[in-house]
Amino acid sequence: MDKRRVRNNIRKLRFHNNEMTQEQLAEKVGVTRQTIIAIEAAKYAPSLELAFRIALAFDVPLQDVFSYTADDKSA
Amino acid sequence: MSYRENSITVSLVSYLLILGYYLVNWLRMYQEEGLNSAVIFKLWGIVIVAGIVLNIVGNILTNIVLSIVHAIKTGTDKEPRFVEDERDKLIDLKGTKASYITFSIGVFLAMLSFVFGQPPLVMFSLIIFFSLTAEIIGDISQLYLYRRGVRYG
Repeated sequence: MDKRRVRNNIRKLRFHNNEMTQEQLAEKVGVTRQTIIAIEAAKYAPSLELAFRIALAFDVPLQDVFSYTADDKSA
Repeated sequence: MSYRENSITVSLVSYLLILGYYLVNWLRMYQEEGLNSAVIFKLWGIVIVAGIVLNIVGNILTNIVLSIVHAIKTGTDKEPRFVEDERDKLIDLKGTKASYITFSIGVFLAMLSFVFGQPPLVMFSLIIFFSLTAEIIGDISQLYLYRRGVRYG
C-alpha cells in the first residue's frame, strides 16, 4: 500500500477569506490555534467532523480543503 | 507553547522533583538503617500527598500566570481560551497509554523482586517508584507528541 497523507489548502483558503488569522479560524471551528497550526503543517489529520466544520467555515466543499495524496505530492 | 504544553511541563517538573525526593530519601534510609516500615510508610504518604498537592497548586499557578501573560500580550481583560479540543484529547489518551504500559512493566518488575528474595517493603517501594516514573513517561510522551505531531491509530 502506498504511503498517503491528509493534506490541505487551509493556508490558501484563509488568505482568500480576508486573510483570516489562525486564531479566528480556531475560534470559528471550536479548537485551539495550535491545532490549526498542526493541521496546516500536516502534523495532525482532523476528525471527519472537524474537517467538515473547517470546510463550512470557508463555505466550500470538503474536497476543496482536504486531499489524501501520496507523500511526495503536494495538495 | 500552548496552555496544555505548559500545564504538562508543570506536571512533569513536579513529578521529577517528587521522584528525586523519594529516591534520595529511600536510598539514604536503605543504606543507613535498612527499610523500616514506620518510616517508609511516612515517606510513601509524603510522596503521594505531595504528588496531588503539587499538581493542583502547579495547575492553579499556571492558569494565573498564563492569564496575566495573555492580558499583558493582548492589552485586554478578555479571558483567554483554554479549550481542550480533539487533538488534546488524543494526545492525552496516548500519554495515558504510555503511562499504563510503563506502570504495568513496573508492577511486573516489582513482583520479580519477590523471586530474588526481597522483602515486601522493597516491592511496594518499587511500585511507588514506577508509578512516579509512569507519570513522567506519560508527560514526556505527551510533550513529544505535541512537538512531533500525532496520528490516529
